[in-house]
Amino acid sequence: MESASVPLEASPARRRRSRLRPLAFMSAPTALLAIFFLLPMVVMLVIALEHGVVSGQSGFTLSNFTDVLTDPLYREVAVTTVIIATSAMLIQLVIAVPLAYVLAFKAGRWELPLLLFLVLADELNPMVRIYSWRMLLGREGLINSALMEIGIVNQPVDALLFSEFAVIIVLATSYLTYTVIPIYAAMKAIDSNLFEAALDLGAGWWTSARRVLLPLIAPGIFIALLLVYIPLFTDFASPALVGGTSGYMLGNAVQDLVLESGDLNGGAAMSMLMLGASAIFAVVAYRLSKIRQLES
Amino acid sequence: MARGPGGLAIPSGDATAGRPAPSAPGVRPAVPGAPRSDVPLGHRLRRRLPAAASLGLTAFVLLILFGPVLMLALFSFNDSSIISLPWEGFTTRWYDQASSDSQAIDAVLNSLLVASIVTVFSLVLGMLAAWGLTRLRFPGRGFVAGLHGSVLVVPWLIIGVAGLIFFSELGVTLSLQTIGLMHLVVTFPLVVAIISAGLVRFSRSLEEAAIDLGASQLQMMRHVVLPHIAPSLAAAGIFAFAWSFNNFEISFFLGGFEQTFPVWVFSILRQSENLPLVNAVSTVIALAQVIAVFGAWRLMKRLTRNRGGDNALTELVTGGVR
Repeated sequence: MESASVPLEASPARRRRSRLRPLAFMSAPTALLAIFFLLPMVVMLVIALEHGVVSGQSGFTLSNFTDVLTDPLYREVAVTTVIIATSAMLIQLVIAVPLAYVLAFKAGRWELPLLLFLVLADELNPMVRIYSWRMLLGREGLINSALMEIGIVNQPVDALLFSEFAVIIVLATSYLTYTVIPIYAAMKAIDSNLFEAALDLGAGWWTSARRVLLPLIAPGIFIALLLVYIPLFTDFASPALVGGTSGYMLGNAVQDLVLESGDLNGGAAMSMLMLGASAIFAVVAYRLSKIRQLES
Repeated sequence: MARGPGGLAIPSGDATAGRPAPSAPGVRPAVPGAPRSDVPLGHRLRRRLPAAASLGLTAFVLLILFGPVLMLALFSFNDSSIISLPWEGFTTRWYDQASSDSQAIDAVLNSLLVASIVTVFSLVLGMLAAWGLTRLRFPGRGFVAGLHGSVLVVPWLIIGVAGLIFFSELGVTLSLQTIGLMHLVVTFPLVVAIISAGLVRFSRSLEEAAIDLGASQLQMMRHVVLPHIAPSLAAAGIFAFAWSFNNFEISFFLGGFEQTFPVWVFSILRQSENLPLVNAVSTVIALAQVIAVFGAWRLMKRLTRNRGGDNALTELVTGGVR
């Protein structure tokens, strides 16, 4: 398959032009990514392997990595991060799978408007969304003042804001669009009669969902994990604004290392570790989605 | 906005109204949890339960997605400097204050400027790369395609930190330019993904036919390809603008002393001062975004009218992730 536009008996001049054409199309985009995406990653890796300025030593070292990995505080933060990101992801999947089902098979003429609302939810500024939740959940927030007005509680419920709970709620509503749409796309591709047939043949809701629907939408779920879990895992705006000390995540640790304590080397090492974890996660999720697609 | 799920089955109500009493603790239609015990209750309930649960779930999702933002908009009109009940009366003074707050205005203008420029460059680079990756063959194509794809899964936090280190090693002063440059790096691969999906769906034989009938490369692009990918192009433009306008992580690390709108909101919230002002500005921004999304929807409906309209639109939404 030659480039579509080149006739079989091309003149030498035309053939040379066709060989140059990929260069004309691809050089600018590829150069941009090489210089401002790949190169900064390499520089960051080098910085992560260098001694800090304060130590006065030169040469390369792994101590930035070992410092981060052996610090019990960071280990605790890592555990909190995984708990928060995983809970938010699970909540989203519990909402997204049935919602995608409704969109794909039940919504009828409301399918498109609802999709539009999902797109709109994504376009709304995330910072505005975080602030709106903080306004609702805060000590003097709307939920607390309403509860006190009615007289259910005498004291404001502090646990609503500045907790893991608050971060999970905010994160779970922040990426719903990107969780629903891949699953919805997977459902659109399957024959709805399959599911109905399983029901008609006497399989219960649960069995049909588990044995028929779930295997077919698995690729969509893996794509959703790929798109959403990594940003959840590295988020730092939500925990910074609604997390308090108990919702402190790895992203906040990176921010504090780089901007507060000025430890670029430590921040770079931690960023590299998070990048590595993200890359492994992405590759596994991508492979799983492809394997599932081949099987079904 | 409340008109969302109204027509699904039952006239719209709040999240819990339409749900029949005996069922499910959560709002889960169809899939896992719907109880088996509904079978003895007869066919009518069995038929109605999924519809009611669908409606309940949809209402619940719309409530958690848009409810808080609506409250935020409501409280931008409350005549009190703390955001809290009771309601102190209607005022527009926060909007007056916002319109003379130079920091707020600068932040919004900065975001608009950066997002506009990033969108234009993203579309140009994205079209070039999408065409190159889907229509041309060259050595290293797999690697280049992988490079474009990998940008989309690298967290923005990491890109922000790496960019900060990179520019400080080079001695470049952080500014709106560095923000825009790194926004472009993460945004144009998204455009590549959306336009490639459009190009893959579009049959290549039409392009060959145009060439066979004597069209030049440029004529073929202009009269055959462009009309077909116009909806993808529009969608890509909207997403590129939103990604840049809404981006917090990269702008936060790469802005130096210059603030974009999300960074401004973040810094005000850190200080917890003058919050109603943030309500007012946020409301204006959110309203503009609502208008933009609905406007874009109408535009795309027009663009896809002669190709199965609604189907083409759902294809567009789902195409990028397949």
